[in-house]
Amino acid sequence: MKLIIKGVIVVISLMSSVVLAEVAVVVNTTNANSLANSDVSRIFLGKMKSFPDGSSTIPVNLESGSTVRGEFEEKALGKSSSQVKAYWSKQVFSGKGKPPKELASDADIIRFVSATPGAIGYVDATSVNDKVKVIAKY
Amino acid sequence: MKTKLSMIVLASMISAPSFAADIERNGFASIVAGQTTSSDQEFDGYTNDLTFDNGSIIGLQATSDLGNGLGMTAQIIAKGEDGWDPEFAWAYLSYDFTDDTRVLVGRQRAPFYMYSDYIDVSYAYPWITPPSGVYSLPFDAINGVSIIHSMQIGQFDTTTHVSYGQNSEPTEVLGELVDVDVESVVIGSFTANRDWLTLRAAYAVANVSFYGDEGSSIDQIADLAAIWEGLGYSNIANGLVSNSDQGSFLQVGFQIDHNDWLFVGEYTEVDLSDSVIGKDDSFYVMAGKRFDNIMLHVTYGQDNSAGKLLTSGITEPAFVDLVAATDAAMNSQNEDSNFATVGARWDFHEAAALKFEYTKHSDDLNGLNDADVVRMAFVTVF
Repeated sequence: MKLIIKGVIVVISLMSSVVLAEVAVVVNTTNANSLANSDVSRIFLGKMKSFPDGSSTIPVNLESGSTVRGEFEEKALGKSSSQVKAYWSKQVFSGKGKPPKELASDADIIRFVSATPGAIGYVDATSVNDKVKVIAKY
Repeated sequence: MKTKLSMIVLASMISAPSFAADIERNGFASIVAGQTTSSDQEFDGYTNDLTFDNGSIIGLQATSDLGNGLGMTAQIIAKGEDGWDPEFAWAYLSYDFTDDTRVLVGRQRAPFYMYSDYIDVSYAYPWITPPSGVYSLPFDAINGVSIIHSMQIGQFDTTTHVSYGQNSEPTEVLGELVDVDVESVVIGSFTANRDWLTLRAAYAVANVSFYGDEGSSIDQIADLAAIWEGLGYSNIANGLVSNSDQGSFLQVGFQIDHNDWLFVGEYTEVDLSDSVIGKDDSFYVMAGKRFDNIMLHVTYGQDNSAGKLLTSGITEPAFVDLVAATDAAMNSQNEDSNFATVGARWDFHEAAALKFEYTKHSDDLNGLNDADVVRMAFVTVF
């Protein structure tokens, strides 16, 4: 019985290591700022609107429902997807802000970030190429 | 006419294509079903018969970015308890001076409470509606101007919101709809947030006048005041009516949102003590815990309100009836009540949740007002 449970745990942890990919936060290659994890969270929650060097931040999200976005919100923002949704509904319906715009895929994020100096996005770590710079990993 | 106009705007908000300006449309809805648990109980619009109207609300918001920091926001809401008549909750122009400073001009939410900014958006908080004892001011919007400034102080993200304006909509006072002039409202609020901790305080002052229709309670109180005035007791007359009297409002609150735990508390004081309305203080504290996509929560709160005794020292036998009527009017606003709520929120969908609540209201001055209310709500944002 014990063995079976152990077996189940091993299988689950194997499965979850497959599902739970590493998330890389990427910025434009010309972006020389360094960010603390709390800065990444504040940028994606609309609280930090400029990088340490003073240039404006342009965060971009993956589409809601995407696994990588769920991972990012859980690990970087410390919130579940519905908590993030509730947070943004507070901002939107109080006229205080709107959520980052959404792009459909890792490739779209990389294209947008590589073309936009102030952009900051996140992708599955395996999608990263030399067109963008990784500034944090979760 | 007003309804017609807002209907047209509502229809155009739903159907209009977005022209050159970037128009964002968002909406929210709560469908609430509720009733009291016994046939002799009534509370806040709930009776022993199940109703779907009381507390149900739908709202649509359109925000247009006109460029260069200028924006226009309009929000229309329709409430079941108002027969689903749509009304403009907000309509304001905003201008961003900088990333951190925004000015709003027009009809906007009055930032009295922690949840004022999104008070109608049930999806944004755990309860079906915030505790009514604290959230008790009879109006929640002002026409005017405000400045919102965000700033980082140490490790805290802070927001300062200062508003100036007025409100002269018919408002429920003493259980009746009367004309109210709330003028020169100044509201200052300050919110500081760091990770899991949010602290908030607000203070407001305003000049308040009531004008009741013939025969209303407010009108009868005005008649009572006129009699005292005629007898030379203008201090008693002034203590009954509010004729541009200064009222004040104070709020302090906190929110701790740490891992799976949520703790919230708010305390408010409403003071119009130079009138029959008197002084009212209320608080609630709430604790909740998330279990994956379900949150369970409990809330306890109290409301206290006491009218002044205006007639002490008046012993003339001829005034006995007048004194009795005056004391009755002043005492009618006395309140000493409390409530306890247990509730659950289930986020069964990424943009929708189901909520269940059971609330036990106890009135320590009049047990006949005790009531147990059960409610269930479907809430969504879209």
